[in-house]
Formats: sequence, structure tokens, C-alpha cells
Amino acid sequence: MSLNFLPELPLSGNLFFLSSVLLLAGSVGGALVHRFLSLPSITGFIAAGVLLGPAGLNAGELWVLDDVRALINLSISLILFELGRRLDLGWLRHDRGLLLMGTWESAISFLLMFGTLIHVGVEPLYGALASAVGISTSPAVVLLVVRELKSEGQVTRRALSLVAIDNIFALVLLTTFLPFLHFEFKAPWITALLHPLYVLSGSIALAFATHAGLILFARIGGKDKVVQLVLQLGAVLFVLGLSYMLHLSFLIAVLVLGVLSKNLDRRHDLVDVEWGYLGQTLFIVLFFLTGASLQWQDFQLAGWAVLAFLAARFVGKSLGVVAFAKKSGLSITQAIALALMLVPMGGLAVGMSYGLTDIYPAIGRHVIAITAAAVAVLYVVGPVAVQIALKWTGETHPERR
Amino acid sequence: MMPAFKSSGPTYGIELELQLIDPYTLNLATDARDLLRRMSRLKLAPGVKPEITQSMIEINSSIHDNYASLAAELGDFRDALGDVAQQMNLLIAGGGAHAFHLWRDRRIFPGERFEHISTRYGYLAKLFTVFGQHIHLGCTSADQAIYLTQALTRYLPQFIALSASSPFHQGSDTSFDSSRLNVVSAFPLSGVMPPVRDWREFEDYFHKMAGFGIVRSMKDFYWDVRPKPEYGTVEIRVCDTPLTVERAAALATYARALADFLVVSEEPDPDIYAIYSHNRFQACRYGYDGVFIDSRSGAKRTIGEDILDTLRKIRSHARAGDDPALRLIRSSVETAGNDARWLRAAYSRTQSLEDTVRLQCDLWMAGSDLEKRHTVSAPSAFF
Repeated sequence: MSLNFLPELPLSGNLFFLSSVLLLAGSVGGALVHRFLSLPSITGFIAAGVLLGPAGLNAGELWVLDDVRALINLSISLILFELGRRLDLGWLRHDRGLLLMGTWESAISFLLMFGTLIHVGVEPLYGALASAVGISTSPAVVLLVVRELKSEGQVTRRALSLVAIDNIFALVLLTTFLPFLHFEFKAPWITALLHPLYVLSGSIALAFATHAGLILFARIGGKDKVVQLVLQLGAVLFVLGLSYMLHLSFLIAVLVLGVLSKNLDRRHDLVDVEWGYLGQTLFIVLFFLTGASLQWQDFQLAGWAVLAFLAARFVGKSLGVVAFAKKSGLSITQAIALALMLVPMGGLAVGMSYGLTDIYPAIGRHVIAITAAAVAVLYVVGPVAVQIALKWTGETHPERR
Repeated sequence: MMPAFKSSGPTYGIELELQLIDPYTLNLATDARDLLRRMSRLKLAPGVKPEITQSMIEINSSIHDNYASLAAELGDFRDALGDVAQQMNLLIAGGGAHAFHLWRDRRIFPGERFEHISTRYGYLAKLFTVFGQHIHLGCTSADQAIYLTQALTRYLPQFIALSASSPFHQGSDTSFDSSRLNVVSAFPLSGVMPPVRDWREFEDYFHKMAGFGIVRSMKDFYWDVRPKPEYGTVEIRVCDTPLTVERAAALATYARALADFLVVSEEPDPDIYAIYSHNRFQACRYGYDGVFIDSRSGAKRTIGEDILDTLRKIRSHARAGDDPALRLIRSSVETAGNDARWLRAAYSRTQSLEDTVRLQCDLWMAGSDLEKRHTVSAPSAFF
């Protein structure tokens, strides 16, 4: 009797099976860590990813991570869109201190990170690229801890705006450095000059066009929250898909779409939708997968240089925040808490680094070695820093203290 | 502890409880502590106070004797608060209740008194995140304060209808013009002062209640109108916070002119307490269209008609600078244009409680220019 109807061993995984494993393991990990260690659920999501990923039990061939980058990118896109909607340009006009704070903490941290990397012998171009990535702050970590603790108030609101500003600076600076990257790899000068211009202007143009369409659809669809949720999800997927097709930066396009949809919606056709359960699911996906993809050997490779890089980043951001705290009307306690809120760096930084390897794979050795190791450290430290900061300011809901 | 009654002249002032709004969600924000800290650097700081939850602040005017000066000071408060709020990315709104906040999300303002209220009243403390206007009317003696407390009771439904601005509560249209007072009524010491003849009898009553351990100070009585001995005033507490400072000042001026009239012209009706609850309910539920029963004659008329009749009686008590206030009151009744109606029209137009709150914030900040349109035309003028 032939048994060829039975599956062959070893079993090969698929996306559905992978999704089920990561959701179940991530949820349980998050709940355990939150309940028994009083740490943010994120730490549990990441720990579950590390445990089942290549660095841990290496659960078979499930971890063909290139296949799941689409899931990571979708999660990052939705988070960036929400982050963009939190950036109120009108507020920056009324509180110049906040704008100066965002500009200077980005600039000082970049210079200090760059100086540190040069000092430890990293090539200037790779140092500049890694430092540009280092400006970014993880919107996912900050947003999730804020939600988990039901935090509301000035530090919370300002932290989300600074995170948006950080990521805009990081993305623009990274794109600006592209010509040097091309020159490094002996690309024609026309490529070196036109590529960043194409990526930057194309991504922004895509955001503007999508925003116009989204407003039009919203006027037709009305203000029902379910309709709006589907519309906004559709717009984000549209930008993500078209960015792939046109070789644009989906990170820039989605973030700008969020900013436009908040600041150019003069008739208030769009309503703020609650991503709720969908958002929570995607958070688990994002943190589990980035946990699973952490390259711990990078940390051994980069070693102490990474710790110096992270120290420079923290000092730079803190100096920028504290310097303009008074102008922005913040107390010193609030300023220190705000600086702590900018500690996390995560999936977005990994995404930016992978964006570089898409252009020149060889660069991975140099830039990702630094950024991935930094992300590994900050995935442990970042969520806890945000939790401490929010509890310290008293902005968390009393039931979550 | 009952302080001695501090007599004052025929002056007046107000307290206004205001909503702090998060511009991102249009829900109530929780930034009262920070706002107060920032306001503490300004000249108007002593007039800005915390309230039971961190989504509220209260502004206290100084003492005035006419509409023009009161409205000007309230305008200064509005502008100063607006500037600080803009720097904090907050919005400020009038209105007696937030349209869609949920009580369980509120946070008690830290402090001994508020925490005592929270412990004592449970969820009512957070539900008490409603926003009222209190009008203080100066009295020349303690006995006059008792007299006015009783005499004003007959007119309280007018103030409820004139100020009503809480048709939406916890995400629904309540069908009331003022739903806020239903929240106040849940407190055991709400209602009206018992019928005492003079200040001496009132003191006896207070000490008896204090002896039972029911009250510690006058603040524990949540009556619709009560004497306030430390200020030397009678305090009308039934008004919702109006949507503009001009309307708030006009209501207070109307009350002051009415008190001037009552002091010289009318004795309190001993039967008023028998039907007060009916008249009060009618005002909360139907606003100007509520049926008012005159306890002396038994005659029925609408509350709007009763206001127009009262305006005629008190005309001679208006002072220099009061005319715009009394005109605003009259036109508001003649056009049936109270704030509850404005809010319902805003919702009907936008089909969104968030947009309704946004328009409410715009109206608060825009002040008098919009107020003129508000009193003479439908709210569609705003869209």
C-alpha cells in the first residue's frame, strides 16, 4: 500500500503556520512578562521571538525571515501612519521650543554618534549612515507602552511628536547620504545624484496623491468609524504596494501620508480610528519577528563600540531635550522623562538598514552590524525606560501604576 | 466649621468650570495639573483653580458691579488660557458636559479634598466631571442671604433653561437640554436649602448636620442655591457653563438685576418648594419650552414666557453697561437659541460628536463675534 498521500518529513512551514506560532507564543510571552515581572508586554513579545528564533530554539525552517518582511513592513507602515497623524504642525508653530527640541536632539545625537563611531575606527560613510539610523526612535515601542499604561499628558504628547520628528530627520538624512553610498560603490554620478532625488520627491508625491484620494473617498464614505478604518488601511496598503512597485521609500511615503492626513484635512473629513485589536495583533507580529531576527552575533562583532554609540545617542538626545525644556514650559522632571522616552530604537531602524542593503548588499556588514546590535540592546532597555518615564511623570492611568 | 458671614455690597462675580480637550481625539484631556503650573506664572493665576478631575479647571472672576467689566475680565481669562493651552496643544471648551467622554477614564485631581470626595462618593466623583457656572451675588447681611436664597428658588428654572448646554452625555443625546443637573441630583446633599427663617436658624441647622458628621463645611451642601458666608454672597449653582464667556457674563448680570429687584420688591413664596422639583425638571428637559407653574396663582406658562415677563419687571434695576447682557438674554429667548439647541444643530449638521466638540471649542475661543450670530440665527451660520 502506497502512503504517498502523507506529507514528507521534515514538514515545511508556511505563512499561516508561522503566523499562528508567533501570535500564540507572542501573546503568552507578553502576558507572562507583563503579569509576573510588571514589564511592558513588548519585552515578552520580543523574548518569545528570540526564544523561538534562530538565536534560540531555531524552530526549523520557519524562520525564512525574508518571507515575513512583508508582515513587518505592513506593521511598521500602520504605526508610521498613526505616528504621522500625531504630528500637529500647528502645535510646532505655537510651541517653538518643541520644534527646536526635536531639531537639536536629532542634530546633537547624530554628531555625537558619528564622532564616536569615527573614534572607534568606523569608516566615515558607514558611521554617518549608522548615525542617521540612530536618530530614529521606535514609534512602535513608545506607542505600545503608552497604550498599555493608558498614558496621557504633556510628556506623552510631546514624546510622540518628537518621535515623529526624529524619524523624519532620520529618513531624510539617510536619503541625503545616498549619493555618497553610490560613489563608494563606483556608481555613475547620474545615479548618485538622481536616485535620492527620485526616492525623496517620488515618495512625497505618492503621499500627496494618496492623501488627495483618501480625502475624496472619505467624503463619499462618510464618518462611520468602520468605513474610515477600512479606508485608511486601504490607503496605507496602497502606498506600501506602490512604493514597492516604483522603488520608492515606503517609510517616507507612509509617514508623510500620516502627517498630511492630519494637517491638510481642513474640513475634517478623516476621523481618528481605533486600530484596537488589529493594531494589537500587528504589534505582536512586529515585535516577535524583530525579536526573532535579532543578530546577536552582531553584538559580539561590534562589541563595546555599540555601547559607546548608544551612550552618545542618549547623551545627544538628552542634551537637546533638556536645553529647550524651559522654552517649552517643561519642568526638569518632565524633561528627563521625555529624554528617557526617546531611548527605544527598533524595527524601523532595522527597516532603514535593510533599505540600504537592498541597494548595496555589501553595506550590511558595516551598517547593520552597528544598528542591529544597537537595536538588540535597546529592545531590552527601551520599553522599560519608557515605562519608568511615564510612571515617573504620573501620566499613566492610576489603575496601571 | 461655619465661617462668620462677611457682608458685601450689591456686587457679583462668577466661577466657571471649563473642559480641557485633546485636539487629537476631541475627548477630554488630563492636563489640568500642567495647565495650572503654567498659568501660575501669569497675573491671572489666582483666579484659576483645580476641580474634581484632571480634565477640568475652574476660573473665578473678581468682584464686579456691571456687565461690561465682568465680560472684559472673562475675555482676558479666555485669551490667557487660550494662549497657554495652544502651547500645550490643548483646546478649551464651554458647555455643561462633554459629549462623549466616559466617566471611568477620568482621573481624580490629587489633593486631600478631592480624594475625600472620591472615597466618599465612589463613581459619582468621576461622573461629576460636568461643568457648571456658579453666580455669586453680594448680600448686605446674613439674613438677606437667607432671604435671597429662598426668593431666588422660584427663578432657578429660568437659569437652567438659559444656560442649558449639556444635551449630550457619555456619547448619547439625552433628550434633556441640561443633563448635567441629573448628575448633581445623585448626591445626597443636593436639592434646596430647608425652609429656615433667618441666619440664626440656618446656623442651628448647619451645626446639627455637622454634629451628625454629615457635613464638614458649606462646600458639602450641593444645593441649587446656597449662602456662601465667607464671600458674603448667595451662590446660584444650577447653570451649565455656557459656550461663550459673553453668555456667562450676561447670565450673571441678569441674576444680579433680579436680586436687586427681589431685595426691594417681592417676598418669597412659602409654597415654592412644593412645586420646585416639577419646574426644575421641566427646565432641564425642555429648556425654554418647559411648563412653569406659578405656585402663587397656579397659572401655567412656558419658562421662556416667564423669563420675558421677569425681564420687564427688573428693567429698572439694570446698571450702566448692563444693556448688552439683558438684550442677549431677551433675544436668546425670543429666538429659542440656547446653547443646547446650538449643540444639537451642530451635531445634526456634522453627524459627528467629535466635530461637535471641535465646533464648541472654536466657539469658545471666537467669543463675541460668533456670539452675535449665535443669538440671532441658527447654528448653520457656523458651517
